[in-house]
Amino acid sequence: MKRWMTLAACIAPASAALCAMAGEVTLSQPGFGTSKVDASGRLVEDWGSVGFKLALNGRSEPLTFQVTPTKLNGVVSAASGKGAALGLTVESAAYRAPAFPSGLDVLTLKIANPGASDVTPLLTLDLPAGAVVGERSVAMGGRTVLSLPMAPNVDQEVREWGACDESQPMPGWGSPNVPCDPAFRNIRAGMGGVPIKYRFAVEPREAVTVALGFCESFWAVAGQRVMLARVEGAPRQSVDPVAKWGQHKPGILTFAGRDANGDGQIDVAVIPSSSAGDQNPILNAIWLLPAGAPADPATLISGAMNQSAMRFVDVGGPGDQAIYGSGKAEFTVTIPAKGSRELTFIVACPGASVTPPSRSAWSAATLLKAATDVARDAPTR
Amino acid sequence: MHQGHRCDCCLSRRQCLRYIGSAALATGLIGDALEPAVASPKGAVGPADVIDPTTLRPRPRVRIAAAILQLPRPYWLGWPGTTYDLDKHQAEYLGMLRKSAETVGFDLGLEAKPIQDEAGMTALLNRVKEQKPDGLLVILQHMGCWGWAERLANEAGVPLIVFSPVGTSFTGHVLGISRRQGVHVVSSLEWSAVEDALRMVRAKRLFEESRILWIQGNQTGETVLDRLGTKVRQIPRDTFNLRFDKTPAGEEVRAVAATARKHAKRIVEPSVRDSENSARALVTAKQLLAEHKSNALSMDCLGMVGSKLVPTPPCYAWTQLQDLGVTAGCEADLFGAVSLLFSSYLLNRPGYMNDPVAETAKNLLVASHCTSGTRIAGFDKPAAPYVLRNHSESALGVSTQVIWPVGQPTTLIRFNSPHEVIVDSGTVVGNVNTPPAGGCRTCIEVKMDAVEDARDVQGFHQVVTLGNHKRMIDAFCQMYGIRVIRSPERAPTADEVAS
Repeated sequence: MKRWMTLAACIAPASAALCAMAGEVTLSQPGFGTSKVDASGRLVEDWGSVGFKLALNGRSEPLTFQVTPTKLNGVVSAASGKGAALGLTVESAAYRAPAFPSGLDVLTLKIANPGASDVTPLLTLDLPAGAVVGERSVAMGGRTVLSLPMAPNVDQEVREWGACDESQPMPGWGSPNVPCDPAFRNIRAGMGGVPIKYRFAVEPREAVTVALGFCESFWAVAGQRVMLARVEGAPRQSVDPVAKWGQHKPGILTFAGRDANGDGQIDVAVIPSSSAGDQNPILNAIWLLPAGAPADPATLISGAMNQSAMRFVDVGGPGDQAIYGSGKAEFTVTIPAKGSRELTFIVACPGASVTPPSRSAWSAATLLKAATDVARDAPTR
Repeated sequence: MHQGHRCDCCLSRRQCLRYIGSAALATGLIGDALEPAVASPKGAVGPADVIDPTTLRPRPRVRIAAAILQLPRPYWLGWPGTTYDLDKHQAEYLGMLRKSAETVGFDLGLEAKPIQDEAGMTALLNRVKEQKPDGLLVILQHMGCWGWAERLANEAGVPLIVFSPVGTSFTGHVLGISRRQGVHVVSSLEWSAVEDALRMVRAKRLFEESRILWIQGNQTGETVLDRLGTKVRQIPRDTFNLRFDKTPAGEEVRAVAATARKHAKRIVEPSVRDSENSARALVTAKQLLAEHKSNALSMDCLGMVGSKLVPTPPCYAWTQLQDLGVTAGCEADLFGAVSLLFSSYLLNRPGYMNDPVAETAKNLLVASHCTSGTRIAGFDKPAAPYVLRNHSESALGVSTQVIWPVGQPTTLIRFNSPHEVIVDSGTVVGNVNTPPAGGCRTCIEVKMDAVEDARDVQGFHQVVTLGNHKRMIDAFCQMYGIRVIRSPERAPTADEVAS
C-alpha cells in the first residue's frame, strides 16, 4: 500500500515540493519509474526530453510554460502548463497513463488563436539528437518513444530514400549458411504486424527493377512467416522464405516496378500475410536496378551487384536510414479564428515503449479514461 | 443424471438466496441474473458480510444510437420494391429493437423519423459525433441508401451496425463495407443476428468497465489494457492465502460446500472438509474482488499450491464463480483470463482454459484443465453434469470433471494480446477420464474442424467454449480491430519439415 501513498503525496499540490524541484512536476505510477515536466515545460524521460517550437510568418519561438501540478478529472495527477508565443496561447497537460504493461506518458497541447482570422503556424517537435522520425512515430535506438497525432509535414527534410515506418532494425539477426553478401545477416522486422516500408526517389513515372532479399533464420518449417511483398507498379508477391528457399538460405524476389502515381517515388512494402502464424515480417536487402537490367538471384546474393545498382540497401544494417531527417518533426496546424486545436502525443516513460498508432487503439480519450478509472479507484489507507 | 442446479433440493430457499446469489435463484436460472432486465435487486442478499457474486459482474451503461434510412416515398421500382410495406416493416423492426434494448441491455437513442436526405444524414452524423454512443445501428430500407452507410462508416467514428433486410442489397453492396474495421453488416431477415451485433457492443462495454484482480508476485499496481480498456490490478499473491487463513468455515462456507456435493454426479476423492476449504476459497475470492472493485481474477494458484500456502487449490471455487458470470482464471495467465472474459461477455457462457495435448493416434486435440464451468451451454441453460475430484497434480482439494456433451461443436479462443486472438473450432468427441489419463480432471477430446493435424493447433491455455462461435467472434474482432489468427489448415510436408 505504500506505493499508492507515494503517488498521492506527489500529486497533492501542497506536497509537490516533496517530490519535485520548484516548478517541476513529477509523473509517476505505482511500481514504475518516474518522469518529470521541468520548469520550462519540457517532458523529461529516460531516453531524453521533448519540447516544442512554434513558427509563424517567418518568426520562430520556443514554447515555454509556467508549470504547476494539477488534477485532471479531479483525480489524475498532471502537470499543467500555460504559455504563449507568436500571439497564440498554448496550454499543455502531461500525465502518466497506466497503460499495460509499463505505463505511458501523455502530453497534450491545446493551441488557441485569439485572433479574428485563421492562422497556420508550424509546430516543431524538439527532440534529442539521434531521434528517428517515422510516419507516425519517433524512435530512439530502435525503441519507439513517441506516437505522433498526425503524419509529420511532407515539407520537412525528406531523404532520397529510407524506411518510413515503425519497423525495427535488427542487425546480426540472420544466420545464412551459404556464402552471401553480409546484408543477409541484418534485417528489419515489423514486430507485431507492423509493415516494413521503404521509399525511393526516382524520376516521375520511371520504371525500375526492384529486388528484395530475404533470409529466414528463425523458422525451420514452412508456413510460419508468410509475407506479401509489394512494389509500386508491380503485382504483389507472396513469399514464404522457408518454403521457397529453406531456413538460413538467402533468396531474391524481383519486381518490374514503376512510379505508378507519378509522385517521383517508388514505394516498397513487406507485410504479414493474414494467415501467417508469425505476424512479424522481415526484410534483408533491397536493390534498385535500371528497368530491364538482369537481376540474377545468385549474383545479387553474392553482393556483386551492390555497387552497380541504382540503390542498394543493407536493410537493418549500418547504412540503413529513415526517410525523414533526424531529430525534427514538424506539423502544419491550422487554428481557426477564436478557436483552438488540440494535439496529443503519447510518450514512452521509463522502461516502456510506445506501440505505433497502426497497432494501438489508444486515443486521448481512452488514455484519460484509463488514468481516471485507476486513480478514482486507487486503494486508500 | 443431474440436470441444472435448482437449489431447492438441497438448501432452503432462504439459504440459497444468501449464498449462491439472490437474483440467480429469484429467476430460477443463474443466467437470467446476468441480464440487465432482471438485475439483482440491491441488498436482496441476507447477511451483510455475504457477497452476492452476481453483483461482481459489471453493469455498464451501453448507449446505442439507431436510425432508419430510407428514400423519399413513394417507392417505384428499385429494391425493396413498390410492394414492400415500409410502414409495416419499420414498425416491426423498431418493435424488435426496443425489445432488444431490454433483453440485451442498452439505452436506445432512436431517431424520431426515418432519414431520407442529405440534410438528415448530416444532422445524424453531427449528433453521433457529439454524443459518441457506444454503437450506431442503421436499418436500411432501400438499396439506394448504401452511400449513406458508407458515409457513416467513414465519418461517424463509432462502431457501425448496418442491418440490410433481404431485398435492400446485392452482394456488391455488402462486399466491401462488410469487411471494414469498425463495421458489422447484417444482410439477412434474422433479427437475432442484429441482436448478436448489439451484444458485441455490450460485450465491449463490459470489457471497458471490468477490472481483473491479478493475484501474483509481490507487487501492487494497476494498468489498463490497450484496445479492450480492461483494468488489471495486481496485488501480492500472499494477499489471498493470508485472507484464506482468516476465513472461517461458517454458515456460508458450509452451505456452499453442501450444495456442491449435493449436485455432483459422483464424488470420488474430496472429503467434506475439502469441500469446505474450496468454499472458503470462494468466499475469500469474493471478498477480495469486492474490496478491489474487481469483476474477475487471475491467480498464481499453482505457485501457491506448490509452496503449500493453502490446503486446497481454488479449482472448484473458480468453477462456481465462472458459473455465476465472474471470470476466474488459473496460473496468473492474464490473457487466459481475458479469453475467459471474452467467452463470458460475448458468448454468455463460461468455458475453461486448457492445457492442449496432441492425441496423435486419433489425431485429436485433448483439452485438459481443472476449472471448467458447468453452465457451458449458457448462463441461462442447465448445467452440465460434473464429478467432484481432487486437483490431480497435487491430490489436494476439490476440482470438477465436467462432462462435456459429445457430438457438440466447440470453439477455442486464445488472446495473445489485446490486439490478437487465435480462434479455432472443432467437435467434442469424447471425455477422457483420469485415470487412465494423467493431467487435469476436465479433459475432452476435440476433432478440429480446419486443422489437418492436431499437433498444429496454436496457442496454450486456449479457452474451450461450447458451440461454434467463429463468425460472431470474427465479427467482434473486425468491429474492434483485433486480428484473428487460425491454426494452420495444412500440415507441413516432409520436405518442408526437413528444410
